[in-house]
Amino acid sequence: MYRTLVGLVVAFAVALALVGLTFSSSAEGRADYVFVNGTEPKTLDPQKMTGQPEGRVADAIFEGLTFRDNETLRPVPGSAVSWETSPDGLRWAFKLRPEAVWSNGERVTAADFVYAWKRLLAPATASEYAYLLHFVRHAEAFNTFGAQAEALGGPEGAVARLRARVADAGAGAGLTAVRWQAFVKEVGLSDLLTGTADPVLLAAFARTGGAFTAAEAVALADAVEAEQVRREHEHAAAVAHLGVDEGIFAPDPSTFVVELRTYTPYFLELTAFYPTFPVHRRTVEANPDDWFQPGRIVTNGPFLLHRWTVNERIRLRKNPRYWDAPAVSLETVDALPIENTTVAMNLYLTGSVDWSPAGYPQDLIDVVKRRPDFYGQPGMMVYYYRINCTRKPFDDARVRTALGLAIDRKVLVEQVMRGGQVPAVTMVAPGIPAYRSPQGTLGFDVPRARALLREAGFPDGKGFPKVSLLYNTSDAHKKVAEWIADQLRRNLGVDARAVNQEWQSYQESVRRLDYDLARAGWIGDYRDPNTFLDMWTTGGGNNQTGWGDPAYDRLIRLATEPLAVVEMAAAERDAFLATMKERPEAERLLAAVGAAPDPKARLAAVDALRLHLFREAEAILIQDGIPVLPLYFYVVTGLVHPRVGGFHATVRDVDGSMIPNLQDLHPFRDVRMRGPAGAPR
Amino acid sequence: MSAAVPPRPTAAAPPVGPPGRSLLADAMRRLRRNRLAVVGGVVLVLLLLASFLLPAVLGLDHEITRPEFHNQGPSAAHPFGTDNLGRDYVARVLVGGQTSLLVGLVGAIVVIVIGSVYGAVSGYFGGWVDEIMMRVVDFLYGIPYMFLVVLIMLQFGDEDRGSNKPIFVALAAVQWLTMARIVRGQVLTLREREYVLAARVTGASHARILFRHVIPNCMGPIVVYGTLTVPAVILLESFLSYLGLGKSLSWGVLVAEGVQGINPVKMDWWLLAFPSGALALTLLSLNFLGDGLRDALDPRTRR
Amino acid sequence: MSARRGSIPVAAVGGVLVAFLVWLAARPFLGATGGAVAGLVGGAAGARWLPHRVLVRVIWTVPLFFLLIFTAVQLMFHVPGDPFASEKNTSAEVRAEQKKHYGIPEKGFVGGCKFFAVYIEKAIGEGYLGPSIKVQGRSVVDLLMPALPVSLALGLLALTIACFLGLLLGVVAGLRPSTWVDYVAMAFAVIGISLPSFVIGSLLILGLSLTLGWLPVAGWGTFAHLLLPAVALALPYAAYVARLARGGTIEVMSEDYIRTARAKGLSEPGVVLKHALRGAIVPVVSFLGPAAAGILTGSFVVETLFGIPGMGRWFVNGAINRDYYVVLGTVLIECGLVVAFNLLVDFGLAWIDPRLRGKT
Repeated sequence: MYRTLVGLVVAFAVALALVGLTFSSSAEGRADYVFVNGTEPKTLDPQKMTGQPEGRVADAIFEGLTFRDNETLRPVPGSAVSWETSPDGLRWAFKLRPEAVWSNGERVTAADFVYAWKRLLAPATASEYAYLLHFVRHAEAFNTFGAQAEALGGPEGAVARLRARVADAGAGAGLTAVRWQAFVKEVGLSDLLTGTADPVLLAAFARTGGAFTAAEAVALADAVEAEQVRREHEHAAAVAHLGVDEGIFAPDPSTFVVELRTYTPYFLELTAFYPTFPVHRRTVEANPDDWFQPGRIVTNGPFLLHRWTVNERIRLRKNPRYWDAPAVSLETVDALPIENTTVAMNLYLTGSVDWSPAGYPQDLIDVVKRRPDFYGQPGMMVYYYRINCTRKPFDDARVRTALGLAIDRKVLVEQVMRGGQVPAVTMVAPGIPAYRSPQGTLGFDVPRARALLREAGFPDGKGFPKVSLLYNTSDAHKKVAEWIADQLRRNLGVDARAVNQEWQSYQESVRRLDYDLARAGWIGDYRDPNTFLDMWTTGGGNNQTGWGDPAYDRLIRLATEPLAVVEMAAAERDAFLATMKERPEAERLLAAVGAAPDPKARLAAVDALRLHLFREAEAILIQDGIPVLPLYFYVVTGLVHPRVGGFHATVRDVDGSMIPNLQDLHPFRDVRMRGPAGAPR
Repeated sequence: MSAAVPPRPTAAAPPVGPPGRSLLADAMRRLRRNRLAVVGGVVLVLLLLASFLLPAVLGLDHEITRPEFHNQGPSAAHPFGTDNLGRDYVARVLVGGQTSLLVGLVGAIVVIVIGSVYGAVSGYFGGWVDEIMMRVVDFLYGIPYMFLVVLIMLQFGDEDRGSNKPIFVALAAVQWLTMARIVRGQVLTLREREYVLAARVTGASHARILFRHVIPNCMGPIVVYGTLTVPAVILLESFLSYLGLGKSLSWGVLVAEGVQGINPVKMDWWLLAFPSGALALTLLSLNFLGDGLRDALDPRTRR
Repeated sequence: MSARRGSIPVAAVGGVLVAFLVWLAARPFLGATGGAVAGLVGGAAGARWLPHRVLVRVIWTVPLFFLLIFTAVQLMFHVPGDPFASEKNTSAEVRAEQKKHYGIPEKGFVGGCKFFAVYIEKAIGEGYLGPSIKVQGRSVVDLLMPALPVSLALGLLALTIACFLGLLLGVVAGLRPSTWVDYVAMAFAVIGISLPSFVIGSLLILGLSLTLGWLPVAGWGTFAHLLLPAVALALPYAAYVARLARGGTIEVMSEDYIRTARAKGLSEPGVVLKHALRGAIVPVVSFLGPAAAGILTGSFVVETLFGIPGMGRWFVNGAINRDYYVVLGTVLIECGLVVAFNLLVDFGLAWIDPRLRGKT
């Protein structure tokens, strides 16, 4: 018996010794500024990261050509001390700051930016944000045309196979549209030919019935081959010139030149966004997989990566070599990878954490929002439900509209969410300068919803199949889903149920179109309607509803190249304008472009036209097509300790008015602590 | 540790009761005399009736949302309060009980039967039979449970989504393992008892020895751990809910959601208290019933 | 402990496998040749001196590991989801590139076999257990190794608390069945079982951290951080142990030999210590075997609630993120612990009941 007791005591001692071992790494004191960062960052490689937790750290340890000013959130000189633009807005030349250095003392040169931006676009990097720079000359060709041309050409390529099909079909009934669509799906032809403007191809993609004549079929094959050849040539040109003397290049070590293919008003904003941050070439090439680990990583921002303990914390230290080091007040910053909102709130309430973005359980919103240390601002994010347009009866637009009209968004926002969210009947979140969404038609109108449902063949919901509202496991999503299910039951007589799946299964169900309605959310990456609208093009990777409309696709495409409208032949332009919902306005803007007195005014007029094209597209999306049910626009909320200075929930707009800090960006370089840490009063 | 080996135990009487009475009838009689066990049984039956009948009888709706009345404490209109969507909590707890009680009790019975038989066979035969059987248990233990559950989920189509069938399969798949271990351990210590040897000498088959001598003498741990399986199964079901396999409404789920109501900012104690209370009440009655069952079935305490 | 020198084949095969295991374990520290030497020495010593029971266990366990890894791989390759999914849907080329980079073949049985083959080859050939896909730039070993002592420390403390508390309550209740002592102890046990650990943890945090401010609310770094999570982890197990111990005590105390001991004049405490405890422990030990493995691999729920960088989070997050290599790493660790504890349990049972010694 005594041996047992001795044994137990020994076990206890061993336990305590082990405990002592694990403590050694946590022996440092509390950092100046501690905040809750959500999920553990997957990587700190700027060209490979996506997500806010990664972004917050990247913004601190790296610096792009520009960074965001704390009080206005507009891009101000960072690694670049000044820049010049050509009158047509297509050529940008950045002068780099001579005193900007890497953490190992070497100068930050233009070559570093060329290397990083090229790396972002290189197919081998497999970067998820490569598409962000596709408006740069040669960029899209460099990024995607190589693989596409390869898949299209050659003896096994799509072109050869199509010609074979055409030849086979020519002997018989001709190439039917059905066979053609099957071929498109089999080969993934629309992915291989993204962005094509060839009218023959566009018409063919939209064709679902009938058959092509022999001549048409051959013309079709010719068009595909022409695309293949074009892509091959453009890819070769891009490989030869990108990074060398066109598109993105450095004529000398302190000048970085970017040539745009089309005028992009939000380009400068992107130079403060992490995919465009420079990286130290030798470091990356020496250890391509883990160059960003502490001890190896070389950075150029106001902070250094001091320590990274997975599941515990990331500690940053002030970078003494940073060109603006005297302006940085914090010495150390800790980012805690905590996802559980209750834990985050507990840490905040005890003063262990200074900033907890969205870090409190959603159900406590009523009490939390009354606190003085709470902030809530509209965010650039939309909460919505996808509708599976390939599944009956959701393929009927009347059914989709009926569903949208049966949900009382006001109650959702005021009684269920209660956080100051804004009801949404459009898909582009507010906050985009100068953009006005079209009128949404999905208000709360139960009689009309019922009428539509009856028209579609389901009077009082009779005969309507069971509807599953799919959401990924989360208390907040569950609440919304169950409430919506109840709304549909009550208002339409439809048997709706909320169903959850864990994240991976949910993603795959949505991707494979194995759902009825599925919850979704989208955050804007930059302040332009494109970020919210280009995903709904036919077959787009983020569409995942099976909906497509050639008119919509065309508008989106033209919105990214508005000058194409200006340069259209008169007949074509008239036909195009005839399709617009707000034709007079479109004509006025078009005229304004032509009448612009100087290049600057012309750019502004093109911009206005561009925004109008987006507006027309959004109108199709939310008035006619309705493949999605917008519900509300998020608010960005959180708790921040009163001692934190330099933290702005609202920022100054160009005209001096205060606008919300839509993306909840609070760069650490400007944060100052006023007073000691401790529980907030 | 004293070196004394316990004195050789006298053989327990073989389980033949007073003339004319079968084991089961005798057990029932003794059970009825145990007052606490009877109370436990009655409470359990009442809980079952309340969960399955009361909502229909009283016309309670557990799904209808009235968000304007969210998070209200107990009142005359809502004796258990309301939840975060303004749904009546009495209805939620009762309907949740349907799932939990069904899953818990049926699941526990399945687990007990499979686990005890498996463990008894393994412990009884010993040697390489025991070795193989226990390695199978280790193997099943080591499989990452979440993948198994998702795989099970996939086998059942959309029609079964929301039914109990996949839940039972997923729960039964792993819960019996610990029961098997415990019974095996017990059987190992029982194997060398005189009455077992005696029975073998008189030519009784292995099956007979197992079912009439060994397992009845294991009733203690079987019943005790069996009653412990019920809460484990109920709580495991809430983990399944997280994956999307379980029901969206059960005591486990209500407890998991209710725990958020316990925080220094706002105390919605009823969200946690009532489902936990129901769970605890169920277990308490199961405990007393289980203890009574064990006493009733234990051959050594028979007179 | 009697060590039955069993048949030669068992010793031979067992010895070879012991050598293999020792080589695997020693190689990271001693290098290739050092590891080989250690393996030979270990194998020979094991064949000569290890008890028969242990050798048999080793012979069964090594194929078990292989089978387990294979099954885990197949499970992962037949279930929806992959580690590269994100809210922004990526193009097919990007995903194909990512999959190639990490060596993930196509889904399905064949893909699983390919993956398994490469995994085993790397694991045994180089001792490399793969990279994490979700946490880039770190290998599985880099991630799990620091987490293991954290969970072990927490788990050992919790286990100790659970044993002491549970045995104390259970034996005391069992010695005085159907008295108020019994009822109170069992009520506590019922509460401990019916309240899951996150509820107990939340209540403890609310009371001791937020209201009274005695202990930190979350995190890891001092002994103060250790206390609440250990208690939260321990209480449900303590309740189980109490119930099982009580049951075992009641049974033992009704045995004839207890009456004999009492009749012989043995003092009551003596009776308890010598006999009752031994009887009470049997079901507890059988239960604790796998339970201990569970406690030591860290409870996901407790670790999330208290922000502890332990193993439990890797078990669940690895599966949720479909981080294939991490999942396999956790499977290895869990299986190793389960096997080790089963051995301990078997030895424990034999020690408690000497009639079991020398037999299996």
